[in-house]
Amino acid sequence: MLDEILHIMAAAIISWILFVTVDIFFKLPETGGVSGASAIARDIEAGGGALSGGTMMGNIVCSPDASAGTLLAACGVYVAGIPGGLAAAVMVYVGNRICHDPGYAGTTGAVLATFVVYAFTLAGFAATDFIAGMVIAILTIQGLSHVHASRLLARLWRVRQ
Amino acid sequence: MIALYVVAAIAVFAAIRVIVEKNTGRKLPYANVLGFAVSGAVVLLIDHPLALVAAAAYFVGSTLESNAIASTYAGGVKR
Repeated sequence: MLDEILHIMAAAIISWILFVTVDIFFKLPETGGVSGASAIARDIEAGGGALSGGTMMGNIVCSPDASAGTLLAACGVYVAGIPGGLAAAVMVYVGNRICHDPGYAGTTGAVLATFVVYAFTLAGFAATDFIAGMVIAILTIQGLSHVHASRLLARLWRVRQ
Repeated sequence: MIALYVVAAIAVFAAIRVIVEKNTGRKLPYANVLGFAVSGAVVLLIDHPLALVAAAAYFVGSTLESNAIASTYAGGVKR
């Protein structure tokens, strides 16, 4: 029981690093992919947050990004191993096109996460640890404090620039 | 088993925050967390290969809804 909790916590940290790295690499904080993403960014900035971090959060809301890719890849690996993860990547790709997102952050994140999650299942982790871990990781960005999360993302974005 | 409880608890927490938050723009990230948690719960609860398709379809659908709400909130299509 304690083992599972520790595995979920470790998986949350790994997923967090994975999806934030991929999203920042694909320049999600730069511009809103759709007008709605920019509107969310403005509201987060009006509430005391940072605009570039808010833009990334708006983009995460408006289209499946690397965080969605990581979650669905973990689900895919849980259901059917590596082929399941790659099937999830295809569904994320379709989701991106449906949401008018021209980018590849979601698909790349899903493919990367498939291999990361699979590697950790060989090391004693369960794919379910990564499903719960990714939900915790997205909670820390989108669900706790928009002000602090957007400022943290803006700081990481300045490092990328 | 613990994974399911964690995901379900986060879903309830996110749902409460969606209700409590007054600003539409700031409501949507909470709804996004809810989408993640429900998609995870679908796969953890349903022991069937097609659960992955159900979770992906739910997730993409909820994202598209958030996208539509946010775009309308931003002023909609300029004609």
